[in-house]
Amino acid sequence: MLEQRARIPVEQRNYGMFYIVFSAILFLGTVWAVWDEVSVRRPWKGYQSQYYDLLYQKLDSLKSEALSAIDSTEAAGLQERLRQAQGALQSDEYVQTMDQKNGLLRDLDVATREWRFARSRSDAAFYQYQQAMLAGKDTSSARVEVDEEEAAIAKYAAEMDDLQKKISGFDGIVDKYQGEIGRIEVEIKKLFASADSYNLKLERSEKSSLEIKQVILPDFELTPFSEVKARIDRCQTCHLGWNESVMAEAPQPFTTHPLPELLAKHNPETFGCTTCHRGQGPALTEGFAHGEADHYWETPILTGVETYATCNTCHSNETVLKYAKPFTRAKQLVLENGCYGCHEVKGYADLPKIGPALSTLPAKTNADWIFRWVKNPTEYNAHTRMPNFRFSDEQAEAITAYLMKIGRESEFQYERGRGAWGGGNAAQGKQLFQSVGCQACHVIGDDASVRESRGTSHDPAPELTRVASKVNPNWIMDWVKNPKHYDPATRMPSLRLSDGEARNLVAYLMTLKDGQSYPKRSLDLNNEEKIREGDRLIREFGCAGCHTIKGMEREGKVSVNLSDFGKKKVEQMDFGNTLPLGHDSDVDYQENADGTVSVKHSWGGWVYGKFKNARLYQTERIVQKMPVYSFNDEEIRLMRAFLMSMTRDVPIATYQRTFDKRMQNVEAGRRLTVRYNCIQCHTLEEQGGYILVKYDDPGLGPPPLPESQGVKVQEQWLHSFLKNPTTVRPWLKLRMPTFQFSDAEIGTIQKYFLGMSKADLEIRDYSSTPVEVRYLKPGRELFETYQCAKCHPSGNVNLSELSASDLAPNLALARERLKPEWIVEWIKDPQKLQPGTRMPTFFYEGVAPDGETLGGNVDEQAKALTTHIWNLGKKK
Amino acid sequence: MKELSVMRSLAVVGTLLLVGAFTTFAGDVTGKVAFKGKSPGMARLRMDADRFCKIAHKTPVVSEEVVVNKNGTLKNVLVYVKEGLAGKKFTAPAQKAVFDQEGCTYHPHVLGVQAGQEVEIRNSDNTLHNVHTLSTSNPSFNAGQPMKGGKLVKKFEKAETFKVKCDVHSWMGAYIGVFNHPYFAVTGDDGSFTIKGLPAGEYTLEVWHEKYGAQTLKVTVDASGKKNADFTYSAN
Repeated sequence: MLEQRARIPVEQRNYGMFYIVFSAILFLGTVWAVWDEVSVRRPWKGYQSQYYDLLYQKLDSLKSEALSAIDSTEAAGLQERLRQAQGALQSDEYVQTMDQKNGLLRDLDVATREWRFARSRSDAAFYQYQQAMLAGKDTSSARVEVDEEEAAIAKYAAEMDDLQKKISGFDGIVDKYQGEIGRIEVEIKKLFASADSYNLKLERSEKSSLEIKQVILPDFELTPFSEVKARIDRCQTCHLGWNESVMAEAPQPFTTHPLPELLAKHNPETFGCTTCHRGQGPALTEGFAHGEADHYWETPILTGVETYATCNTCHSNETVLKYAKPFTRAKQLVLENGCYGCHEVKGYADLPKIGPALSTLPAKTNADWIFRWVKNPTEYNAHTRMPNFRFSDEQAEAITAYLMKIGRESEFQYERGRGAWGGGNAAQGKQLFQSVGCQACHVIGDDASVRESRGTSHDPAPELTRVASKVNPNWIMDWVKNPKHYDPATRMPSLRLSDGEARNLVAYLMTLKDGQSYPKRSLDLNNEEKIREGDRLIREFGCAGCHTIKGMEREGKVSVNLSDFGKKKVEQMDFGNTLPLGHDSDVDYQENADGTVSVKHSWGGWVYGKFKNARLYQTERIVQKMPVYSFNDEEIRLMRAFLMSMTRDVPIATYQRTFDKRMQNVEAGRRLTVRYNCIQCHTLEEQGGYILVKYDDPGLGPPPLPESQGVKVQEQWLHSFLKNPTTVRPWLKLRMPTFQFSDAEIGTIQKYFLGMSKADLEIRDYSSTPVEVRYLKPGRELFETYQCAKCHPSGNVNLSELSASDLAPNLALARERLKPEWIVEWIKDPQKLQPGTRMPTFFYEGVAPDGETLGGNVDEQAKALTTHIWNLGKKK
Repeated sequence: MKELSVMRSLAVVGTLLLVGAFTTFAGDVTGKVAFKGKSPGMARLRMDADRFCKIAHKTPVVSEEVVVNKNGTLKNVLVYVKEGLAGKKFTAPAQKAVFDQEGCTYHPHVLGVQAGQEVEIRNSDNTLHNVHTLSTSNPSFNAGQPMKGGKLVKKFEKAETFKVKCDVHSWMGAYIGVFNHPYFAVTGDDGSFTIKGLPAGEYTLEVWHEKYGAQTLKVTVDASGKKNADFTYSAN
């Protein structure tokens, strides 16, 4: 064919075929290009149409359900009534009335017109009259005309009035018919209301077009060069169902956003999506938006518990976040484990050291024990917070030598002489230990119940299973009677033990000895070189971060600043000798059979491995100093989420939560209560009460709710109570300990409670609260009728007859202790103020059992009772 | 004369037919709950804390935790249909159940009611009592009744068996069983129970005692028969 073509002269060759073929190719290419651009490269269009289909189906099914739920007889009945009412419009009465009314309306039209004409004529006549007057002519005829027209106006006005009255007279009848129709229509509408609303939604969704949905936040954040940067989020383009409640069970990406209460405070329309979830906002394809397909996007989307990490960008000052409970736990873990002792952590400055003071050790324990502890803390106490530094024997010996030296130089003396502890009864001591409340924090033996109830892998206080091998009894006596004497910064409270009780307790604790014997070690404690080495080691490894050690009060933080750790690039992380796990692996950390460890070589994997074993990435040439902790899986994940939140990116102030005075008070209170571990027994902000696992006597209710104390007790009483707790419920063996708070600490706590109840500190003189005399007699009568004295003593009480669980607080205390307004509210509905309390509700459903006194009025009776109770405490 | 006897026989046949019609499609389950072994000695209730309660009884009152009848059967056992009534709805009876506090003890010690049935809680003592329900599915409440003759009407909507106690008198305790259906009974002084009107079908019957726990038994009720189901609890 080509030869054939070659024979035709060039000018006569036909290029038609080429033209057609290439045109066709170009045409097809164009069509493909358009198709690709409009559809294939815009997968969001597919998602959107899928979404609308799903929505339509769902709304349709809901509508059918709503329709089938309608009682068909009722609907038919209403329709019938409507038909009848509409038929009634044909009735003679209505037709005639309407005819008459219309006739009258026509007459009214005419009268109105005539009235208007009369008014204009009157204006004209008056003009003429005035003209005549000015011109000095005779005004009488003009005047006559003016008066005539005025009369006409009056006549027509009266006629209009009259007609209006007649017309409105018919209104009653008309309304009877029309109104009835209206009422029936309203009822029908109500019956079909939900079906109608679904119908409306259906119509709206049918009309929706496919389009990009974006949120633009113009002045959101600052670039590293301090320029204002906007943020644009197009997540809603595929995630259309985020605000549509009917899509709650739809698959992703169409499902409803969970936690609507949280969303109400952080509306995505004004807050954006990537603020919390990270990811690439402007991207419109899944891989790029979520960050998986784009390896250079520094903030890929957060999943699972890590989503809470972004809370910290604005809420870094707060330790309790109501809607982010896992993150609250993460923050509390950081507070409890004292990471801020060695690392600078944003938002964790000025916090107390978490470990005991080490300046006076010889008074407490012996050198052998210190040596073993420094070598391996978990050998003595499996659930301690102290991590393992993996010291060699020589290093441990040096450290022991140093600590013993500074201890010998201290001037500590026991408050009671040596031997003051002797003569106690161990069995009674054991009973005391189990009843007074020690078990809230101290564990003896394998009991994991309180720990598990709290969900941590560590105990808040040392395990006492082998305490006799660690401490000497003189020290226990001194400690238990007054902990702050040995260590002024301790969080151990005093249980107000009498000397006899303390001796019994010491006797019991001294029976808890080691089951095993250790090889005798000869420690060279007086060697100057060793002591200097110990000093150097302590400074190098940063022990002063958690312990107060004499001479090391000014030591700085020994390790890296973690405030921007969330943004650390994986290329800058050293994975040591660990083997890499694939990116699609389910686990971050894996111990292989041959003793090696595989870790996912990503930021998340590195951090997991580090928390699991802090020396994991140590090699022959690169030595690491971070000690090894023993966290459980959940704790590691939570703290990793916390680290992920450590970044320097913070949105502009308008987007942040204002940290006002009330929040500052609340936050200071939270940190104090975490430090002193109030939540071990009490419930604060929906957390706590772990002690109830051990003391589960049904007669015992939960300890008082601290948050309500702001409105419940008198401020001065609370202050003196926290300073020196007194016994409010004498039958209880469990005691509120004396924490030996300073005045400033008590102030923090009070402001915390007041902040939580959103109240202000008021100093009132409660003793001069006026007493309404008219309530005195009824109050006393009601007190007898309702037999309050059956449970509430008021004065001295004979405890022998009544069992512990029958008693309630002594009412003589009420005047000094409680706020009168609170007493009234308590009497009216105790279960509302303290759910589960044993105080019965007398005024059940707002009805007073005694219907006669004070007219059976619940408020009056409550006030009368309060007045009587107030009087009971009056000092004679 | 002949007409009268004809009328009489007609009436008898008619009544029989009517009765037959009503019982044709439903069966009864009757039975006994026996107790094997020696009845455990029950502790005496010390009512010294309240003067009224102390003088209310001439003879000592013992705990009602385990009450063994003279014929060797167990009292206060809740008997009810556990499975087999799937999906059926039953309306609560209009009749109120009575839960009384008299002589500082609860009467009855074990009460069975239907969900939605009204329970009238009475205080027939001249002393303060309160009724504190320890229910989990139903909202719990703690209502005080200081005066004699006090009446309180409550409804329980969810099926549950729970304890009721008095916070003023710690020895008082009772149990209320709430069921979604009317097929339950509590054994009385003769240890027997009757559950009437069960439609034909296969059911799982359960008995429950506060100390000895629960036992189940599968029964098949046929259209017109009477079914017998006996249970035995032993002392250990």
